[in-house]
Amino acid sequence: MSFAPRFRQGMKAAIPIWIAFVPSSLAWGIAAQAHGLTLGEIVLMSAWVYSGPAQFAVLVPLAEGKSAATVLIAGVLMNLRFLPMSTALAPFFRGVKRVPLAIAAHVISASSFIVPYLQFQKEREASGGSSIADGYGNLGFFAGIGATAFTVWVVGTAAGYGVALSFPAGFEEALKFILPGYFAGLLVAEMKGKTMPLICFVSIVTAIPGALFNLGWGWLATSALIAVLGWSLEKWLSHD
Amino acid sequence: MAFTRLELIFILGLSAFVLRALPQLFLVGKSFPDTWDRLLRYLSYALLCGLISITLFMSGPRFDVQAAPYRAVALAVTIAIAYKTKSAVTGMLVGMVLVLLFSWQR
Repeated sequence: MSFAPRFRQGMKAAIPIWIAFVPSSLAWGIAAQAHGLTLGEIVLMSAWVYSGPAQFAVLVPLAEGKSAATVLIAGVLMNLRFLPMSTALAPFFRGVKRVPLAIAAHVISASSFIVPYLQFQKEREASGGSSIADGYGNLGFFAGIGATAFTVWVVGTAAGYGVALSFPAGFEEALKFILPGYFAGLLVAEMKGKTMPLICFVSIVTAIPGALFNLGWGWLATSALIAVLGWSLEKWLSHD
Repeated sequence: MAFTRLELIFILGLSAFVLRALPQLFLVGKSFPDTWDRLLRYLSYALLCGLISITLFMSGPRFDVQAAPYRAVALAVTIAIAYKTKSAVTGMLVGMVLVLLFSWQR
């Protein structure tokens, strides 16, 4: 199947993602405005970085003028998860030229990864493996999801900036709670197994002493260490 | 070396693009080991939790002793409601209202 009909299929499949992106993009726009970022910076960050968790990770250090290394390392560590996502999608785009691949890669996000990935796997099983050869068709489906979700995200953050401006004084505390509250809710809704809740709990508790030890690096190093320890413990317990 | 905010955003976006595009351009046909995939996921969860903690409980370089108990209660309620309803938005909204009420009361 060619690119255009698959793009439309992708758009239809993306509707639940658009709905999910509306509150999170609004939340990010509101929080970024509350931390003093300009509309231009907010829209640029949403369009160019396009990663809710990374944008959240760098918001406070960026707004408070922390060292560039802290901002960049926090953002890059958060974005490392794109490596396995992109690697998992790559076989389904076989035969596609590098330029369209590179352009499409920009709209890979957790949501725009999982929906097409599951769809491609289903189609591969149904076709006995031949659907994987339709690289441009698969790219169309992926782009239908990724490009539209990207648009919703960028427009939503700009709208969030506008919403934040209309809040009267006295609401600053609540505005600053939006992003941590939203991400805490997202994490809890996604909780699986025992390792993840344990890592999350210990990270929340140990980030404070880490930050008190070194405001720029302490929490980052502590959280990374907790993740590695949790992962090693899980590996050891499962004799992986 | 000092960077402006815009320069930092640009570098950050560039690094995100490289991480997204690299496998598409150079790792076609390769697979990412499940165990490393898990480590990267745990890393992002742990960093998010660390961030939630410092965003809520630190005021600049110090622990916000006065506000921390109230924000901790709001966070706990947010988590409980998000878990029960499986809706991050519902949890966040209730937490926001609580934080607001606590801040007006103090």
